[in-house]
Amino acid sequence: MADPGSWPLLSTLLAVPVCTAGIAAVDRRASRVRWIALTGALLTLFWALLIVAAFDRHDPGFQFVESADWIPGVQIRYLVGVDGLSLLFLPATALLFCAALVAAWQVGSSAASLSAGPYFAWLLLLEAATLGVFCALDTMLLFFFWELMLPPLYFLISLWGSGPARELVARRYFLIMLVGGVPLLFGLLAAALSFSGGPVAFDLPTLQARELSGPTAYLVFLLLFAAFAVKVPVVPLHTWLPSLAMVGPPAVIALVVGLKLGAYGLIRFAIPLAPLAARDLHWLIAGAGAATILYAGTAALVHSNLRAILACSSVAHVGLVVLGLATFSVSALQGALLQLLNFSLATGGGFLVLAFLQRRSGSTAVDRLGGIVARMPRLTAFFLLFAMSGLGMPGTSGFPGELLIVVAALHSHTGAGLAALFGMILAAAGFLSPFRKAFLGVPDNPDIALADDLLPRELACLLVPAALTVAIGVWPMPILELLRPAAEAWVTTIAGL
Amino acid sequence: MNDWDAFSAALAAALRLVWLVPVLPLFAAVLIALLLLAARGCGDSGERLSAALASGTLLGALVVLAVVDLAALLGVAPGHLVAADWLRIGRVPVRVSFALDAYSLPAATLIALVAWITVRFSTRYLHREAGFSRFFLGLALFAGGMLLIALSGNAVMTFVGWELAGFSSWLLVGYAWERPAATASAQFVFVTNRVGDAGFLLGIGLAVWSAGTLEWAWLAGDGTMATVTARLLAAGFVLAALVKSAQLPFTPWITRALEGPTPSSAIFYGSLMVHAGVYLLCRMQDLLLMVPDLLLVIALIGLSTAFYAALCASVQSDVKSALIYPTLAQVGLMLVFCGLGLFWIAALHAGLHAAWRVVQFLLAPAWLNLARRPARPVPRWLAGRRWLYTAALQRLWIENLVYSLLIRPTLALGRDLQAFDAQFIDPLIGTPVDDSHPSRSVVAGGLPHRPGLAGWALTAVARRLEDVEGQLLMSGDGALERVLRRTAGYAGTVEALLEQPRYLMLMVMATFAVIL
Repeated sequence: MADPGSWPLLSTLLAVPVCTAGIAAVDRRASRVRWIALTGALLTLFWALLIVAAFDRHDPGFQFVESADWIPGVQIRYLVGVDGLSLLFLPATALLFCAALVAAWQVGSSAASLSAGPYFAWLLLLEAATLGVFCALDTMLLFFFWELMLPPLYFLISLWGSGPARELVARRYFLIMLVGGVPLLFGLLAAALSFSGGPVAFDLPTLQARELSGPTAYLVFLLLFAAFAVKVPVVPLHTWLPSLAMVGPPAVIALVVGLKLGAYGLIRFAIPLAPLAARDLHWLIAGAGAATILYAGTAALVHSNLRAILACSSVAHVGLVVLGLATFSVSALQGALLQLLNFSLATGGGFLVLAFLQRRSGSTAVDRLGGIVARMPRLTAFFLLFAMSGLGMPGTSGFPGELLIVVAALHSHTGAGLAALFGMILAAAGFLSPFRKAFLGVPDNPDIALADDLLPRELACLLVPAALTVAIGVWPMPILELLRPAAEAWVTTIAGL
Repeated sequence: MNDWDAFSAALAAALRLVWLVPVLPLFAAVLIALLLLAARGCGDSGERLSAALASGTLLGALVVLAVVDLAALLGVAPGHLVAADWLRIGRVPVRVSFALDAYSLPAATLIALVAWITVRFSTRYLHREAGFSRFFLGLALFAGGMLLIALSGNAVMTFVGWELAGFSSWLLVGYAWERPAATASAQFVFVTNRVGDAGFLLGIGLAVWSAGTLEWAWLAGDGTMATVTARLLAAGFVLAALVKSAQLPFTPWITRALEGPTPSSAIFYGSLMVHAGVYLLCRMQDLLLMVPDLLLVIALIGLSTAFYAALCASVQSDVKSALIYPTLAQVGLMLVFCGLGLFWIAALHAGLHAAWRVVQFLLAPAWLNLARRPARPVPRWLAGRRWLYTAALQRLWIENLVYSLLIRPTLALGRDLQAFDAQFIDPLIGTPVDDSHPSRSVVAGGLPHRPGLAGWALTAVARRLEDVEGQLLMSGDGALERVLRRTAGYAGTVEALLEQPRYLMLMVMATFAVIL
């Protein structure tokens, strides 16, 4: 490819999983369909890495922009592009989907279960929708991809989940997300329509160049904040996540929890669309973040299932990111983005480990486990590494991000920063206690006493996130420098008004 | 003279390699971890390999340190060496920098030496134990962390070492993972250490914004820093130092840490990590001297810890505890020196004390053989006062206090929050799902059992509409139905008319007229 601008890189990225999903949906043979799906996911990953390689690191603006009329009458366009803020989410998403596919390798292989084709098809469709959210620069296109994520998740959870309550939980998830979509739609419409004199516009660059003012700005910001807060999730809208984590297929939960779309929405849309209101309401963002850290950190102490605990602690982590956004500083934004990428690795990886554990022991309830390390030292080691990354241990990718956010928060919102420090202690206690009960000690569950350690394919799908976790933790400079131009531009836009 | 120039140039070049000192043991830790991952860490060959890795890298670190020491003695070494930029916090760079001065070099050399001796000792001591390689992984990680604490020239790199030391403590204390007591102690040690880490981060955060630098050498600023800021800034680091040195009220973790199965792990708490706090205080002495009231607090805490430890020491009945309390008392005295501003005495005391305790702790398992005499009884002044005796035996109930004042309320709060989720937020949003009682949440008809406020309102409206509809349709003698049928007939006619193009055109034109 001589000129990266000549080829629609991003559209290809979105098209690959969609096409693969189509093939996977019609193919009936489970053994072949998973190879097709994996090929599609790997191709997507390769393509995402290609985009990263072709990206110009010094340009803070949008790159690889593709534009086409979609609904010309009202200026809604198919407009995609990436900048430094969103670029790295593409390979992170693609990587996590590859790992999730491998983790779900056994789906459909037993006679009693549903066939594998639709599973992989839904998964790939979900991948396309997720990538679409990260690429979309038109607000209506964002809304389209945002809602497109729901059907695959609904079917994946209600059909392939576990436990008798899975359909109810899937339905509740669907309804809550739909309800969350209402303020999103209204907020985006309000942003698009609220200009006296100017034409209606839905594309992000135009909207950002205009200056929202007065009550409209507050309306837009609050609506968008509410919409994304549901997805983040921010206390008190968080209860869907632990219950979802309990019944969903673990590999799918790794995706739902690992990809922090809500926080990305805040960074990309909610704050830039109404910067004045966002700056005025910084206390709301910081307060929501701090409350989430403390609330979820404390709630994690008393849950008795590893999946719910991991879900709770991930809620607490993303609270830290929200707190970082409230500081409107370059270093905190860098830290927040680094943390979000770290979650794809650490939380995603943690849930993948739990997926493997679930397959062996049949449960992730702490009191039904114990002594896992005796039979599965490698599985335990990986879980420990990912959890340590979540705790912000130096040497893992969790540390630089947490450091950047906490330092910035201590400056601008000292109280919330102290809450984050307290959350650090809570997180350590909240992780170590269940870890001790579930992984250490003597095995008494016969399933565990006879289980095997990680299979080669499981090892393969954990090794990449683990290696990245350590590598980013030891040398975070390249990623932070990649984020810097866009982060500086973001802060200048917000603070310069 | 020419030879001397060449020699000092070579020394100066060798100084650039000082980063190897903490990195070598960490590298050994990574390699041992990979060995374990590849399932090559077991068996005699695996034992030999991981022991060789740990001791070899530590010996290498010792050799590099000897060269650096020589350079420092000859006056070639700069006091502060920057190796690289790690990241930037706003305008403040976080560097990989090393302090090479009279505090750091002796400390680092001592640490490397003690760690190396311990590794050599443990190779024999732990021969053919399950988890041999894991133990050496912890040792190497710990040695790397401690060397980083000693050599680092700035707060963030010290913090990295600080956390690594805490994490490896967890690994070492929980070495016997089958035993609940060991794992519980490991957890206690880690969480307590985490309190100090939070203080450390607070210090780092304030340093970035008030001092504008993270290098220890310039942390005190140019004397223009406001006393309030300096006090807060120092307080964070002092909290970290108190926790790491197990001073009051954080003493319980160190006795728990003795749960580590071997004297080798005990000596880390007996001789190295417990002095890290004192070392940190010495490192930031310029800053501390700006806030005399904090110095007073440090001295008081050190003094009370010394008394406390002396009291507890006289009633201990096992060798390790009988050694750790005198250690704590000595560390308390070092804090008193720090509080009096005599940092160099504290550092000297720490070094000598650490060297002595290594020997003592390594000999502890053989104590009964070596001593050849019964243990001394409890001193008479203590034995006579029963309440004091009980207090000493119970270690002043500090652990119980922590449990009932901190841990239990936090857990209770957690349960409250969970109940709040389940009984308030869930009913508001809908579908509380109880996995253990699925029948409670699933009802026929598909609607969730407790649909939440929104769902409940929706259901109520739907039911009311259904009622209205039912009454309209079902009651009466079908009059309504006839009306409806007639209306449907009209509608059909209108539709048929509309299907003719001219009326459709008319409709469209009318619509346009309305819009325009």
